[in-house]
Amino acid sequence: MSVRWPAWFFVKLPHQLALGWLALVVLAGLASPMLPLPYPPATPDLLHIAAPPAWSGPGPLHYLGTDPTGRDVLAELVFGARQLLLLSLPAAAAATLLGALAGGAAGFWGNRGLAISWAAVPATIAAAWWVAELPQRLTSALILLIISILLLASKYLSLRYSRRSGNATLFFPLDSLVLGSATLLSAVPRLVLVVALAAGPPLGTGGLLVLLLLVAWPDAARLVRAQMLRVRAQPFVEAARAVGLPAGRIWWRHALPHACRPLWAFAPLSVAGLIGLESTLAFLGIGLLPTTSSWGRLLGTLPQEPTAWWLVAGPGLALLFTLLALQRLAYWLSANQHSQLVLPK
Amino acid sequence: MSFWWVFARLGRALLAAWGIASAIFLTVHLLPAAPDEFTLGDPSELGSAVSLRTSASRQAARQALRHRLGLDEPVFYLTRTAGRPVRWQWHGRHNQYHHWLSLLLRGNLGYSYRTGQPVAALLGPALAYSIPLMVLAAALATGLAIWLALGLANASGALTGWQAVARTLLTGIQALPLFSLSLALLLLLANPDLLNLLPADGMSTDYPPLGGVAWLASYGAHLVLPLLSLVLAVLPELTLPLEATLRQELRADYASTARSKGLTSWQVAYRHALPNALLPLLTSFTGLLPTMVAGTVVVEVLFALPGTGRLLAEAAATHDYPLVIASVLLTSIARMLALLLADVLYFWTDPRLRPSL
Amino acid sequence: MRYLWLGNYLLALLLSACTPPANRQVGDPIRIRWARDPETLDPLAQPNQNTVEAINLLHAGLLQLNFQTSEYAPALAEALPTVQLLGDSLTQLDYHLRAAATWDDGRPVLATDVDFTLKLLNCPGLPNEGVRSQFSFIQQLQLDPTDPRHFKLMCRGQAPEYPWVSGDFPILSEASLDSTHSLRQFSLASLQRAAQTTPALLALAKHYQALSQGYYPNRLPGCGPYRLADWQPNHSLTFERKATWWADQLRPAPLVLQAHPKIIKYIILPDDGAAVLALRRHELDVYPSMQARDFQRLKASPLAQRELAFYSSPSYDLLYAGFNTQCPALRDKLTRQALGCLFDPAGLLAGTQLGQGQRTVGLLPPSSPFYNDSLPLPTYAPAQAVQLLRQAGWQFVAGGWRRSPAQRLALSVRYRTNEETFETVALQFRAAAAKLGIPVELRPTEATTLNHTLHAGDFDVFVRILKGSPLGFNFEPVLHSRAVQEGNFGGFSSPTTDHLLEAIVTASTAARKRQLLRKFQVQLREESPLLPLFFMPYRLAADRHLSHLLPSGLKPGYSAAAIISSGSLPAAARK
Repeated sequence: MSVRWPAWFFVKLPHQLALGWLALVVLAGLASPMLPLPYPPATPDLLHIAAPPAWSGPGPLHYLGTDPTGRDVLAELVFGARQLLLLSLPAAAAATLLGALAGGAAGFWGNRGLAISWAAVPATIAAAWWVAELPQRLTSALILLIISILLLASKYLSLRYSRRSGNATLFFPLDSLVLGSATLLSAVPRLVLVVALAAGPPLGTGGLLVLLLLVAWPDAARLVRAQMLRVRAQPFVEAARAVGLPAGRIWWRHALPHACRPLWAFAPLSVAGLIGLESTLAFLGIGLLPTTSSWGRLLGTLPQEPTAWWLVAGPGLALLFTLLALQRLAYWLSANQHSQLVLPK
Repeated sequence: MSFWWVFARLGRALLAAWGIASAIFLTVHLLPAAPDEFTLGDPSELGSAVSLRTSASRQAARQALRHRLGLDEPVFYLTRTAGRPVRWQWHGRHNQYHHWLSLLLRGNLGYSYRTGQPVAALLGPALAYSIPLMVLAAALATGLAIWLALGLANASGALTGWQAVARTLLTGIQALPLFSLSLALLLLLANPDLLNLLPADGMSTDYPPLGGVAWLASYGAHLVLPLLSLVLAVLPELTLPLEATLRQELRADYASTARSKGLTSWQVAYRHALPNALLPLLTSFTGLLPTMVAGTVVVEVLFALPGTGRLLAEAAATHDYPLVIASVLLTSIARMLALLLADVLYFWTDPRLRPSL
Repeated sequence: MRYLWLGNYLLALLLSACTPPANRQVGDPIRIRWARDPETLDPLAQPNQNTVEAINLLHAGLLQLNFQTSEYAPALAEALPTVQLLGDSLTQLDYHLRAAATWDDGRPVLATDVDFTLKLLNCPGLPNEGVRSQFSFIQQLQLDPTDPRHFKLMCRGQAPEYPWVSGDFPILSEASLDSTHSLRQFSLASLQRAAQTTPALLALAKHYQALSQGYYPNRLPGCGPYRLADWQPNHSLTFERKATWWADQLRPAPLVLQAHPKIIKYIILPDDGAAVLALRRHELDVYPSMQARDFQRLKASPLAQRELAFYSSPSYDLLYAGFNTQCPALRDKLTRQALGCLFDPAGLLAGTQLGQGQRTVGLLPPSSPFYNDSLPLPTYAPAQAVQLLRQAGWQFVAGGWRRSPAQRLALSVRYRTNEETFETVALQFRAAAAKLGIPVELRPTEATTLNHTLHAGDFDVFVRILKGSPLGFNFEPVLHSRAVQEGNFGGFSSPTTDHLLEAIVTASTAARKRQLLRKFQVQLREESPLLPLFFMPYRLAADRHLSHLLPSGLKPGYSAAAIISSGSLPAAARK
């Protein structure tokens, strides 16, 4: 008797729970405007400011309590899931992706790996001159462009007509660039960054996404870069080079997947880090519009009412479950991937 | 790994820190808000001398304040007009950036806008307070992280007993932001309603005489809560990636060879797998070093510790630019040195990692 | 095993250090909580309220605020100044200094010291820009050749506040700061006119800065009752009572010249929750400006009731919402009245202040004898708002309110960030407006940029606190057309209101004043350039053994120098 059970049936219980919770969060986020919640979000209920959870009584109840401004915690949680879907998860994913690509490239090619022609230099100067609107921009841009075309032509001619290969090449300092910008972004204390931003208008979702991306990508980049320095020295990379594969292909299909291994454990933590940044911004009183609901902001209202345990219980547990689910998912995926990585490509 | 390489990296680090500080300098000086609002007071305050002044006297006062703080000069050597037609203007040496740079090269970090005190005199005591606390917290956290990661990685399955509980607890702590953790500790351990064990603020106003055992006990008692919250806050991000890497290493061939030689699982993990798995720990650890200089605002505000984090937060809030820029400079130098240290440590643990030039 | 006893010993030691201190004794220092560091103790630069409080302990001025009667009382001066109006543009104030007033080194306080201080306020190169503009109304100080303690102040203009405001700055010693009397050659008017950079002035400024009075105030003799004993930046300040102070000999001792505690310690605890815990653990004695919920929670706890005393008094700070009258949508009064009906003062008072505080119809508190009680209190009335909007010409078309020349009703509200009360008010307004179909955008702004945006007119509605005072009824800084660049943020200007405000200031009899103020409150309700929500209450909690704190609505809300500590004897409970 051979019954073909579907594949997902063989998934173990913890993985099922993790997937179930994540599905619940996604559904809540997507369907939040249509759910029949007792109170709308971002609306203070002046009679019940910082009220504990109530499960019996007249009228619509605050099942999970209210925050110090009077907003209903349940509504904030549900609409916060939406914010999570629209903001924190994409920001974490994008930051991890960007960090992995940048760090992997910086680790693989270093400062002496990529060669660009000399013609690029006058071309970039011309572009910069034009954009910055320095004096006489038209004439200078034209002159610089002509110089770069001449350089390209001379390189082409020398390659074609002489035996010697062009040995005057410029090495693009990729490692210094990536490391430098990562350092710049992570060396600036977040407070200064945030105060500089606070002088402007409050951030909408798009602005906050860019901010979170800028803040989170250096950590992923450094992790991947460090791992890539190790992977670069492995024998299989040498073997691939010896076979004659182009550098880009080696990087993308062989080295990068290995170098991204620490990211599986790191990615869920980066989600937590981003939500923590949101709540610290709320704690400092800057950043999000007061009409956006977010788990981080709910947590950030705790100092105003320290004995309100429901402010930590609600978003804290939701966050904890989401993180555990993401971790379990990461573990499952990495276990699957690892079995495939045993055989070299 | 030569001396010249280290020297070149140090030089680059200082240059980079100067670049970052200059970028911050230009950014904050181009912000629209000026630091004079606090000095000049609230014009709508009834019944006080503040509201009696005329608009002319307020303008004159603002002008005088800007002149005294040096804010009426152009910001940089070169400035560009905002609107059309775009024109660039050269200002020579009479600009704020040049003054700042020449003071910096002489070792003077500037004078605070709010109090007129030299910035070094403000930063010094704050650093002297923050650095020992942070170093202690980081050392404790790293030791604890290594011990915990070794214990967790040695588990055979994924969900056995205390390892699962510990991992869940760590993720839970990671999920909570720092201030809710500190508040929870404060409300638990310093609350007359619950356990009234520890003092509520980080420093006491009357210590027993210095140097005695009683002083040490009193000082230590006041530091327990801040240390505990700092260690707990940092522990998950040190432990979890290390544990994941250790697990991978324990699956490698050399680990099974070691086990077949007869070593206990602890010895295999500690002596053989750990040195190979140190890479992410080094990354996270060196990432902590700039926090030692920058302090942690949240802990310092909650426990009333006079550290650099609180100083920087107040300076940023009141737009006290010299203090902000000096702190940024210090933090960037610390971050650069941390990166250098990380590269040196990478090479020390794994000589295959040739540092890039 | 060997380390077990060592571990136990250390643990016992640690635990012994953790026990809270015993009940306070009579000679213990009085520990008061401050939320921020005073940053500097320089009398010329007073960046925040804590600095002002500290300077009042170290120095004395001509007049000082009496917290019991909420009026100014003479300190260094013998009596309040006699006022004489000269013509229609000058005021003359006549002061006599007390004969007993001396500096710490024995020299008497003379009129030349007052003259020197006024000139120092206008000296270039010193951090005195803020104070300078406040006292720019003083034109000249006339010394009396026959009496070194008698002088007259000439003031520009004729405002009713001059008698008390003119004496509210600390007097500094000329002999210690300027022994060569180099400032005497300059006249006050010439210093006020232009920033002169003569070498004498620069040398004086340099000498002043070198003394670094902001950090080492003990380098100069002050004539206040206390001396700075210790200052750990961002952590604590300790003030010690001087053993011999000139005002100790005065009989009867006036209230403003009493200083009872031997040692006052200010402890800087920025977080409210930690400060409440410190108060309950007896690490703190006085907690001023407590939040509503902490106050309620402490009062409800029987343990805290036994150990602490609670004081609550009305303050003069008014929470209000202002409208930008220059904005085209809000230019007419009917629209402003309609929007005023969308705020819910009763609900906001119950929610944010837990019912404490006083609602009002205008800018006067209900306890004032000039309060117009025939006007109804502003309430939440959405139906009336719709009616008023229709009367103003707005029509609800295609999901929004529109008026004929293509005007749309959409508002932006500005308020300071990090303030829970402002945010609750703004969110309530937004929810009420959303029910009517008016889109409202909330723009919490940082404190430093807020003033800029308010002056630039980049807002429609703002929510802020108006700091009032019990002295006088001069509302010109908030509503007069002359103050449009200053405190009149909404840009409101109307000739009738201007005349009323000027008449109130110059009213001589109480009956006339009552008539004018009632008319003013009616006018304010009618024009509605701002909507007053409620007056904030002031709450203080202190150890039971302390008495005579003089809690009041005036800043800082208590008088540190007047506190009497009765040690371990139980004091009668106060409400």
